[in-house]
Amino acid sequence: MVEATALPAPKGTVLPGLGLTLGMTLAYLGLIVLLPLAAVFATAAGMGLDEILRLLMDPRTLAALRVSFATALLAAAINAVAGLVVAWVLVRYDFPLKRLVDGVIDLPFALPTAVAGIALAGLYGPNGWVGAPLAEAGLRVAYTPADIVVALAFIGLPFVVRTVEPVLADLDREYEEAAATLGASRLQVVSRVVMPVLLPPLLTGFALAFARGVGEYGSVIFIAGNLPYLSEVAPLLIVIKLEEYNYAGATTIAAAMLLTSFLMLLVINLLGNWTRRRAGHV
Amino acid sequence: MSDTPLTAKAPFPPAVIAATTHETPGVRHALTAVALTYLALFLLLPLVMVFAEALRGGLAAYLSALTEPDAVSAIELTLLVAAISVPANMLFGLAAAWAIAKHDFRGKTVLTTLIDLPFSVSPVIAGLIYVLLFGLHGFLGPWLREHDVEIVFAVPGIVLATVFVTLPFVARELIPLMQEQGTADEEAALSLGASGFQTFLRVTLPNVRWALLYGVLLCNARAMGEFGAVSVVSGHIRGYTNTLPLHVEVLYNEYNFVAAFAVASLLASLAIVTLIAKSFLQWWYGDALASGPKR
Amino acid sequence: MTLLHPDRSADSPVAIRIDEVSKSFGGTRVLDRVSMTIAPGRLTALLGPSGSGKTTLLRVIAGLERQTGGIVAFDGVDADRLTLRDRRVGFVFQHYALFRHMTVSDNIAFGLRVRPRRERPDRQAIARKVSELLELMQLQGLERRFPAQLSGGQRQRVAIARALAIEPTVLLLDEPFGALDAKVRKDLRRWLREVCERAQVTTVFVTHDQEEALELADGIAIMNRGRIEQSGSPMEVFEDPRTPFVCEFLGNVNRFDCTYGEGYVEVCGAQFPVDWGGRGAGIAYIRAHEFEVVAREHAEGVPAIVDAVHPFGDAVALEVRVEDRPRTVAVSISRELWELGEIRKGDGILVRPNNVRVFRAAS
Repeated sequence: MVEATALPAPKGTVLPGLGLTLGMTLAYLGLIVLLPLAAVFATAAGMGLDEILRLLMDPRTLAALRVSFATALLAAAINAVAGLVVAWVLVRYDFPLKRLVDGVIDLPFALPTAVAGIALAGLYGPNGWVGAPLAEAGLRVAYTPADIVVALAFIGLPFVVRTVEPVLADLDREYEEAAATLGASRLQVVSRVVMPVLLPPLLTGFALAFARGVGEYGSVIFIAGNLPYLSEVAPLLIVIKLEEYNYAGATTIAAAMLLTSFLMLLVINLLGNWTRRRAGHV
Repeated sequence: MSDTPLTAKAPFPPAVIAATTHETPGVRHALTAVALTYLALFLLLPLVMVFAEALRGGLAAYLSALTEPDAVSAIELTLLVAAISVPANMLFGLAAAWAIAKHDFRGKTVLTTLIDLPFSVSPVIAGLIYVLLFGLHGFLGPWLREHDVEIVFAVPGIVLATVFVTLPFVARELIPLMQEQGTADEEAALSLGASGFQTFLRVTLPNVRWALLYGVLLCNARAMGEFGAVSVVSGHIRGYTNTLPLHVEVLYNEYNFVAAFAVASLLASLAIVTLIAKSFLQWWYGDALASGPKR
Repeated sequence: MTLLHPDRSADSPVAIRIDEVSKSFGGTRVLDRVSMTIAPGRLTALLGPSGSGKTTLLRVIAGLERQTGGIVAFDGVDADRLTLRDRRVGFVFQHYALFRHMTVSDNIAFGLRVRPRRERPDRQAIARKVSELLELMQLQGLERRFPAQLSGGQRQRVAIARALAIEPTVLLLDEPFGALDAKVRKDLRRWLREVCERAQVTTVFVTHDQEEALELADGIAIMNRGRIEQSGSPMEVFEDPRTPFVCEFLGNVNRFDCTYGEGYVEVCGAQFPVDWGGRGAGIAYIRAHEFEVVAREHAEGVPAIVDAVHPFGDAVALEVRVEDRPRTVAVSISRELWELGEIRKGDGILVRPNNVRVFRAAS
């Protein structure tokens, strides 16, 4: 009689070490990221919904959140436009020192935010190299959210450039040639054939820059002036609450920001899936 | 038909045909000028500014700002923090990439998303979570004080916050690359009698060495430069819990601008070195790095 | 009367004249004073090996590349004076270049929708045109699909439909079958011929496959190193190749070195008259089917040993070793003869060429 049928072939690979490495990964991630993050929600849960809402409705908190979200949105929009132009120029045109310029794009990723903060303050702040002459000409109002937008535009640029760049580089010239032979004008070629392909990465870059901008602290506080209700960002208010040992206040703001961050992450992932589905692999 | 005489044989009219497949030279030059001006104003000028301000007081003032005891201890602390957090995240990245890229299991996408989580959390919140956990009024605060363990406002807190913030760097470089490379090389090594660890050491690691270096490079730059998260947990105790970026802030708030920019120039140099090394890696070993969008 | 051009039925198809056209990229000359006429309403093949300049010539005709010298004329009008829109060429790219973010319908309608408002057909007219083309291309039911959801053959048909939608003056196809597998290729060949005949449009296609060109085209231009070696009907170029290159490129051919003199050349034991006098070295080409094969005991012919037999097809291909020639000679005989003679590997036979093309060797 035949013994029990052969075991089904194991799915995936035969490589060893899954248990060990997966265990390490989960333990590390749990201890460093998940457990501490849970502390925020545990603290929030301990406070009760009424208390959270009361703290959240505090005018200064609301103002700080509004400043953070509004400036991040505006800066991300600026970055979407500037990043698209920069990516286009880098991919499509030739000019001297192109490689150098391409390397410099990542500066905001590599430069510590505190350094970026004092440098931008020294340039575009009220007494800065560029800011002072502008102020004298009456073109600059000191300590407004506009300063925050400057800092966030610096921080967010590479997100857009680096998501758009590879997609544009992969876009075969033939699509544009095909559209041109079919009678489209250059404007129609760009708007109907190129832009639909660039829109998903552009949105992804926008979302990444926005998410980063909302939470940005280091580069902002040196240039913003930090006036409550006017140019005080949410992360700074968290720091201030913590310095007052107001854990509840800090936690409320943090929870509100985390929740939006998670939403952003979800949106980014959905966008990514949508892009892949739409683009297919022709 | 074809015997109709040809019109205009002499000088070619301006190339009207290129206009629909390319931008006209005018548009091209204008766009290039706009992009380069924007980059110069936003990226290059701040960098120039840091060094110019740092040297404003002369070389002597510059050097003394870097050699005074508080600066030296900030340098030492920054190096110490990076020396702990970078290798830790490197090991984590290798383990996570081996598990995720070379095996199949349920919940893989969730795990990959979780690894990226620290990138989408505000640095300030990254600091806050450790204060909530280990701070004086935090969950474990009373117990820690009883046992005389200092985490927040001390070096361990700074290390933890830095590890949190830099956690994804190595993993997210390695995972896509190792997924792309597949498991054929490893299976060949195993079939030839190599042990699992030997396979990893002699086959997998050499295959990903440039991507690993790339990840480590970025991880290190962020670890040495992190400000927000570290600021929250450090307590700004001069000569004890001040890292370089925090020291910049302290000096700046004391209106000691030359010293602040001098210390900042040190960090800016680190950024420049990182960028150069990163660019060279991309030019020379671009094929050996993960394909797809570079963050 | 044509199905596709009801509004242009009075127009006759367009003739293209290419006059001394050259094209250089950087320092390399890709087209070298190419001249040819493309007959109106016919199907013309540009045939040549890769790097021969055939795709560049096609792109110059389309207006996607600009020639560095010479003139392309559409019905006597210098094409340089026409914008891409006015040239109205239907270009089908090798990999089709279908817009990935548009459905099949939207792809086909694209050329009509981007017309300036005054010339743009209204919505219903566009919809009618699209469904007409979908039917012609046998694409019904796929109109809402995206290119990524189509097979290779379907994509090609969409690309052709998209090009035909603008009622092109000429239809240009770059390696139309290059990206398809062998089975689909054969089916689509006949079908493409039909479509072009019905659309009554001057068509030029690029290919490196001689069989494809010979079977499909009304006229063939054989290109080599940026020049046209020979052009003519498939019969002309096949039966009367004018250059050694064309000889080698078309058909299964054997090359022999020979000497000529006194109006004769001797190749493979047979003598043939040549037109030129004097003596010198020559190159002779004999196609595989131009050999007579007889058994050893019969007289005339060169003795040869059969090296291999490939009896797969309408004809039987033999590889035979002749005298001290290092390479085997390809010989093709009918199935009946092969069965009659019971020719097997190792047999000794006699071969005798009954046709030969001789060229003077370049000195």
